[in-house]
Amino acid sequence: MIKKMVLTLAALCLVFPAMAFADDPTAGTLNMGINSLWVMVAFVLVLLMQGGFILLETGSTRMKNAGHVAGKTIFTAGLAALIYWAVGYGFAFGADSSINGFIGFGDFLFDPSIISVDDGLPTTLFFLFQLAFAVVSLSIAWGGFAERAKLSSYFIFTIVFIGVIYPIVAHWIWGGGWLAKDGAQDFAGSTVVHLSGAIAAFAATVLLKPRIGKYNKDGSANEISGHNQVFTALSVLLLWVGWFGFNAGSTLAIGDGFFGYVGFTTMLGAGAGAVAALLISWAVNGKADITTMLNGTLAGLVAITASCAFVEPWAAVVIGLVAGVLVFYSAKFFEKIKVDDPIYAMSVHGAAGIWGTLANGIFATDELASKVGVGQGGLIDTGSWHQLGVQALSVLVCGAFVLAASFLVLFIIKATIGFRVTEEQEIIGLDLSEHGAYGYPEQLKKGQGIQG
Amino acid sequence: MGDPVRVQLLKQIGKADNVNVLRSLRDQVHEHMKGILQMSPVEQFNEQLNELHDSVICRSIILAEAEMARLGMGSPPVPYAYLLFGSGGRQEQTLSSDQDSGIVYEDSVMDSEEARAYFQQLTSNIVSILQQSGYPLCEGNVLSNNPEWCMSLTEWKVKLNDWFAEPAWEAVRYLLIMADGRSVYGDHRLAFELKDHYFNNVIEYPNITRRMLDNTMRHKVLLGLFGHLLKEQYGSDAGSLDIKYGAYIPLVNAIRLLALQAGIRDTSTLSRIRALAMHDQLLSEEAASYEQAFRLFLRLRLMTTEQNEDGLYANNGKLSSRSLSREMTEELKSSLRTGKRLQRKVFKRTTGRLR
Repeated sequence: MIKKMVLTLAALCLVFPAMAFADDPTAGTLNMGINSLWVMVAFVLVLLMQGGFILLETGSTRMKNAGHVAGKTIFTAGLAALIYWAVGYGFAFGADSSINGFIGFGDFLFDPSIISVDDGLPTTLFFLFQLAFAVVSLSIAWGGFAERAKLSSYFIFTIVFIGVIYPIVAHWIWGGGWLAKDGAQDFAGSTVVHLSGAIAAFAATVLLKPRIGKYNKDGSANEISGHNQVFTALSVLLLWVGWFGFNAGSTLAIGDGFFGYVGFTTMLGAGAGAVAALLISWAVNGKADITTMLNGTLAGLVAITASCAFVEPWAAVVIGLVAGVLVFYSAKFFEKIKVDDPIYAMSVHGAAGIWGTLANGIFATDELASKVGVGQGGLIDTGSWHQLGVQALSVLVCGAFVLAASFLVLFIIKATIGFRVTEEQEIIGLDLSEHGAYGYPEQLKKGQGIQG
Repeated sequence: MGDPVRVQLLKQIGKADNVNVLRSLRDQVHEHMKGILQMSPVEQFNEQLNELHDSVICRSIILAEAEMARLGMGSPPVPYAYLLFGSGGRQEQTLSSDQDSGIVYEDSVMDSEEARAYFQQLTSNIVSILQQSGYPLCEGNVLSNNPEWCMSLTEWKVKLNDWFAEPAWEAVRYLLIMADGRSVYGDHRLAFELKDHYFNNVIEYPNITRRMLDNTMRHKVLLGLFGHLLKEQYGSDAGSLDIKYGAYIPLVNAIRLLALQAGIRDTSTLSRIRALAMHDQLLSEEAASYEQAFRLFLRLRLMTTEQNEDGLYANNGKLSSRSLSREMTEELKSSLRTGKRLQRKVFKRTTGRLR
């Protein structure tokens, strides 16, 4: 009997040898695993923001363009993944030191080994996270194209923007480029992502000119209402949720839980933007405007994006409040100078992006700056204008670069293959002219727009 | 008064024997009054203009009656009063106002169907003659040729009782319209009796003023939080001021409500204000400031954009803010503040009374 038992135990030991030698994972492995999981979650949240952009852009435009507006977002996201993999990532984060201040070089057709870890995070995840940011910037730029650009121009602009323009700015501020060495603070991309996208949108809308029917002969503006305000509101919610991946995910690590603080300031900025925008539109126009309020929420988010890790809670509220008011006047301003911006990209992402970046120079604290390890405290905390100067320089240089580059590309498109659809195509809608089918086939009959 | 052209026009209108002559006289009225608008004091201008409109309307009714006789339908079977509502009722018509009208006729002892048929035909003639003379139809179909607004005195009383007893949104709207009703032609006694009935009901249903307040308070004056003017944001009227709904109507509504509560039967806003002061419902200096504000709104309303649509005189009630001098803008702002103060007062008085 005893013999039997000993034999069985011995056999079991042979079957499960690991039991005898099992080992706990090292602290390093565990740390990397948790960070990876967090960044993966954040990547998914940021990618899901494309759903927000789809709803935002379709909701703010007319029914006859809905299928085109929604579909092209998915298509360009797909194209952007390939371009960013082939060249974009290499220009942003590729490591060749000789020209490193201006542009990264290397890692083209990016091929990470199966588990290559850099700074406690698999490079595959770093790539995915960065790609999702690039696509957000691209979708912001589409705001300036809305309802009148040719499909081919989307194709070409995606290649250039994702391949070259965006990666260069990302390199300057995040990839160890010259602005990064200057100490420019842009935690999650008020300048890199939002301002870049908005400036590209600006170049596009200036070259495209206003949509048919936006302005009267005497220069007064007409309101071209979007076809679904519920879509627009849902889009803001989706973007808001996604923004926690965007900002809090930019810590790239669980660490001591600092990402929680980043999410906290983000929430305050968004709330303040919503409240300020609703109140200012009510005070000035006599009506509490929903579109303005939605824009204010996004503007609060855009503004706090640069500063979420560098400022105290009260400052986050102030930054959001200012953004909410700013977006209202900015939209009025662009309309007045006859820049037709159907999605308010320039006000929400441009004006608020600039404000958010500059706000660091005012509100950043030394304590938080040293925690993040970028730059120093701003005017209020240190009494020094230095950080504000650095922030202003980064806005100016990045803005000017993106404007020049985007303008050049789009101008070439305009001069060669044409940028804007014909008047007839614009009137019947891009769903039909570019794709041959309406997004709302039951609501619209083919060709009815041309008479109406 | 001392305006020979106008006296002459009144005389000619009183003698016009067909619709074409009437139309041409109405056009002359328009041209003449437009010409003297800038130099006349607004209250006097308004009175003269409304006297001319009244005479055109009365002449249209006489022509329509004659037409009925010519068609062999005889003369009116019972006495009736032709009622004007809206700006016509308040004697505040602009150069281009639309038709808002109704009829109340005496209860027929003989054949009520015959009376109904007669007035149906008569009113459709009247409305058509006025339309040919350039008065557009009321968009809400408050017109004498609408059977709902053309009834015998008893039918009217029943209808009023229903409205007072069941003050749904529509009923309250109709009651507000009735409040401005004025007999312009025919047997005024019928209109008085109808008004008697109306005001007895106002006393019997004190809650009605509360409902009227809810109905009229949605027209806000054109002042923003910082005391700035609220302008149209978009469209071909971008930059203009909605004088009709943002200045004139709020004041009309507020004063009407005070008048109803005080049992004052005048229909014109200025006489309502004076009567309110006389009955100690308003302090005299208060009344003076409301009068002054109202005169400005009347004047600006007369200046609003005219549109001639298919021969009909129309008006969108909007005024380009560029056409206002700096002093007038300041005056408008201060008058709007007065209007806002009045709105608050009416709100307090109406809600406070019921507590």
